[in-house]
Amino acid sequence: MVKRYEALVLTVPTITQDEAKNLENQVARLVADHKGSLVSFERWGKYRLAYEIRKNDYGVYFLIRFEAEKPHALLEDLKHLFAVKLNDLIMRDMVTVLNPKGSLAYNRPQSLDEIPVRESYVSDRTESAEDMSEEELEIEKD
Amino acid sequence: MTKKIKLKISARLLKKRVRRQGFGGGKHCRFANNPEQAALIDYKNATFLRGFLTERGKILPSRISGTSARYQRLLAQAIRKARVMGLLPYSSPNN
Repeated sequence: MVKRYEALVLTVPTITQDEAKNLENQVARLVADHKGSLVSFERWGKYRLAYEIRKNDYGVYFLIRFEAEKPHALLEDLKHLFAVKLNDLIMRDMVTVLNPKGSLAYNRPQSLDEIPVRESYVSDRTESAEDMSEEELEIEKD
Repeated sequence: MTKKIKLKISARLLKKRVRRQGFGGGKHCRFANNPEQAALIDYKNATFLRGFLTERGKILPSRISGTSARYQRLLAQAIRKARVMGLLPYSSPNN
């Protein structure tokens, strides 16, 4: 019987896109090695944590969903991959079993990336906006 | 004998009776017989779970929220999971 699992992973806020990609590849390879299938790998975005974890006020969440027929070895390997002691990026992880017939829809809190501009972010946002407009101009020239 | 038994209504039952009559019906659980609401109980859904915490971050007792025992258990489990993941506080600073 195929079982569906879900792993929520909390990483350090400074995680780069390459590192996230690397994490996704590692998970995907592990799941494939154990003849499972990766259902989804989602980046929730940056969040303010309810309390300090490893001296970080912020963190980035990733939600990974996968299916496996004989999951014991896979879960064991994932445990080693996520092991907080061995991994500099991951601060917390939680693997739970999903109902295979249940829907994949879920609610999550709003991330800081989605919340409209706040004062501390204004400078970053305006910079990115300028970049955008420049790119658009170039496109128009073409 | 019957008279004696009638006299022995406990204070708890009396209060219950007063509440039933006084405040227009008893408590009701918002999850029982309401699968849509019950489906919202999930450790990822921290915004929703936050409504079941006190200002200090404690889990709201079912005697306040009126949640039935079954769903209070599920709620508490979800809140505890969310706390581990840093989505909800264990306790909030008192300021």
